[in-house]
Amino acid sequence: MTDGVQAVISGPGVFFDGRTSARHDVRVTLNATGLQVEDAAGRVLADWLYDELDELSAPAHVLRLGHRHNGDLARLEIFDEPFAHAIDLRAEYVDRTGAIHRRQRGSIIGWTVLATLALVAVSYWGVPAIAERLGPVVPIAIERRMGEATNMQVRAQLDTKNAGAAFECGNGAGEKIGLAALNKMVKRLEGSAALRLPLRATVIRRDEANALALPGGQIYVFHGLIAKADNPDEVAGVIAHEIGHVAHRDGTKAVLQGAGLSFLFGMLLGDFVGGGAVVLAAKTVLQSSYSREAESAADRYAAELMKKAQGNARALATMLGKIGGATEPGMKILLDHPETKTRIAAINRIAADAPTVPFLSAAEWAALKRICAG
Amino acid sequence: MTIDANETAMTGGVRFLGARKAYWRLLARGAVLLMVTLGIYRFWLTTDVRRFLWSNTEIAGESLDYNGTPIELLLGFLVAVAILIPVYAGFFLAALDLGTLGEMSGLIGFALVAFIGQYAVYRARRYRLTRTVYRGLRFHLEGSALVYALRALPWWVLTAVTLGLAYPFQLASLERYKMHHTFYGDLGGRFAGAGWRLFLRGLPLWLLIVAPIAVTVGAFLEVVDWQALADAMNASDDEVMKRLEQGNPELAAVAVFGVLMAVASIALTLLLYPAFQAIVLRWWTSGLRFGPIEMLSHLRMRHVYGAYIRFALLALALAVVLAIASLPAFFVVGLIAGGNENSAAAEIAAALVLLGGYVIGALGLSTLYRATVGLALWRLSMESLQLSGLSVLDRVEARGQPSSALGEGLVDALHVGGY
Ligand SMILES: [Zn+2]
Repeated sequence: MTDGVQAVISGPGVFFDGRTSARHDVRVTLNATGLQVEDAAGRVLADWLYDELDELSAPAHVLRLGHRHNGDLARLEIFDEPFAHAIDLRAEYVDRTGAIHRRQRGSIIGWTVLATLALVAVSYWGVPAIAERLGPVVPIAIERRMGEATNMQVRAQLDTKNAGAAFECGNGAGEKIGLAALNKMVKRLEGSAALRLPLRATVIRRDEANALALPGGQIYVFHGLIAKADNPDEVAGVIAHEIGHVAHRDGTKAVLQGAGLSFLFGMLLGDFVGGGAVVLAAKTVLQSSYSREAESAADRYAAELMKKAQGNARALATMLGKIGGATEPGMKILLDHPETKTRIAAINRIAADAPTVPFLSAAEWAALKRICAG
Repeated sequence: MTIDANETAMTGGVRFLGARKAYWRLLARGAVLLMVTLGIYRFWLTTDVRRFLWSNTEIAGESLDYNGTPIELLLGFLVAVAILIPVYAGFFLAALDLGTLGEMSGLIGFALVAFIGQYAVYRARRYRLTRTVYRGLRFHLEGSALVYALRALPWWVLTAVTLGLAYPFQLASLERYKMHHTFYGDLGGRFAGAGWRLFLRGLPLWLLIVAPIAVTVGAFLEVVDWQALADAMNASDDEVMKRLEQGNPELAAVAVFGVLMAVASIALTLLLYPAFQAIVLRWWTSGLRFGPIEMLSHLRMRHVYGAYIRFALLALALAVVLAIASLPAFFVVGLIAGGNENSAAAEIAAALVLLGGYVIGALGLSTLYRATVGLALWRLSMESLQLSGLSVLDRVEARGQPSSALGEGLVDALHVGGY
């Protein structure tokens, strides 16, 4: 703050009064508390206090001032650099060095980063918690419809139609006895489970060792799973695991989680990189993290159910070991070996060494093995 | 210091004063913050960009001034989301219905989103206009966004049905509606551009792009033996292809020809897009009127191509830099995979590297595009303008109130573009 600058007390400017677009060439005088704008005829056009001055966006060589707390759009423009500097020194909210701007930007960045963290927290903890509460409240009728809608998608994805044979096994002439064996097994498990909706278990012509439970009670057992099993209890154990998903309504919860995440990522966060790949990746990672808890819960349920149905609860653990823990398609990359070992240990803790009744006779087991034979 | 008021009384030009370097800095900082905040920073970046472009555009010696704020955009967006949640929930439930409602829900949803999108485009334009201040007066947009959306939808259908031939007439008609309701203070706007002029100028481009497709269709009609085709369709699934080949020996050649022509058509579309953009911009800005103020654009097509060439070169450079930078990242992934028997960790690490590369690449490209083509289009379309009838600027009176940013929010939430 030099004397030379302080000495500048008046200078030229351009004024627009906010009522008409007429341009006024004015003389601006700097007083003790504010500035006064006078036109060539000496009429006072504006009297603004320094701390009511607002710096507005303008080209680099112009200082454009507005009047705070005032609805009108009156504008005062100063083109003379030393005079602009003199106003800058007096007015609190005018800062041509950009320090105020930088400070504001700093706090904006702080807040947006906080908001981002909050969103990540909501998507990690909030979405599954909401789905957990909402899942049991969804009426069975809606759950069934959700099931039928997802069923169409799942079938479109899984049904490759290559061999020309039916997608579902068990309807061919030589497959009927296999189907009867499957139904016997499912009936026995269902009898012990006491679900609020009827199950529908179907073997499908796929080579992977997987199974799948949809909302509404539809269970798909991939033929590859039956091929890999060494005894009926191993198949029954995986079906019991899927019944666990049905009983816990995990399919419905997954649909709700998916909708919630699509909403959070797709809409709130915006299309900032112009592609859905990030959204899809984030959804996959988050949903697999939600599914860990659901998987161990389904394992516990399966072990208890097998005990109740007088089956061998350890069979599920054996089967998990064989298929690397991937009970459902696409799980392999997301759940690795240590996870599987923990799950096997948890199942074996529940399993008791009580006497068991085999699920199928040797003949029935042989028939089930041929359920997709055609 | 400024251009004398008398000199600009009748005619005047537009100058763009923004320094390219400052704009680059603004965009680069914005890109980093977008990434860190998963996109939440976009409200601030959009406002910064507009403040920069507006305030550096000087019309007849006075620069524009954008006085919208990021908070307004954020609030508009939140209100838009609150409005869209029940709409989305309704369609989620409707899609579960297995009857006709469920089947139709996709179509109805598409139509509804298109309708809300057009409504939003109009309201977003209103927001932008009412935040644009020139010589102490704001612009504003009257008229009804609902009426606009009702007019716009049939036009879009017609444009789609005519493979784009109706687009010039659509643009002219919709712009007439918008400009008829646009005001600078109490000075009413209108649009003087004629659809057929744009049609005639755009027609050669359209023909160039459509020609390869038309030739393919012609060749196909010439070659196909319709009787054999019908027989083949009636055969069982796995025999269709075999029978098709037997009945139409030249079909494979036509298919290859068709693919080549499709590639040619796409390549032509990309090559001609800057020309199309230049033609539309020149036609549009030349048609804008405010009371006695008329505009004439001298926009040069080669300048627009120049901006695209700069963008293409920079994009190429970015691709090379990203490719080189990703080598050490993949080396690390290889180490993880080699040192550990289970490949799941390596798979996840590789996916993360790819995803990171994708985000940086996509964000980098969009930043390069805005800094080269985006800025150039603004600067060129402004600087090529010649305005006449400016003496009215001594006596325009203030009118119009600022509008809400709901339209901007809807545009954002629905990912629809338009101005
Ligand atoms: Zn499971």
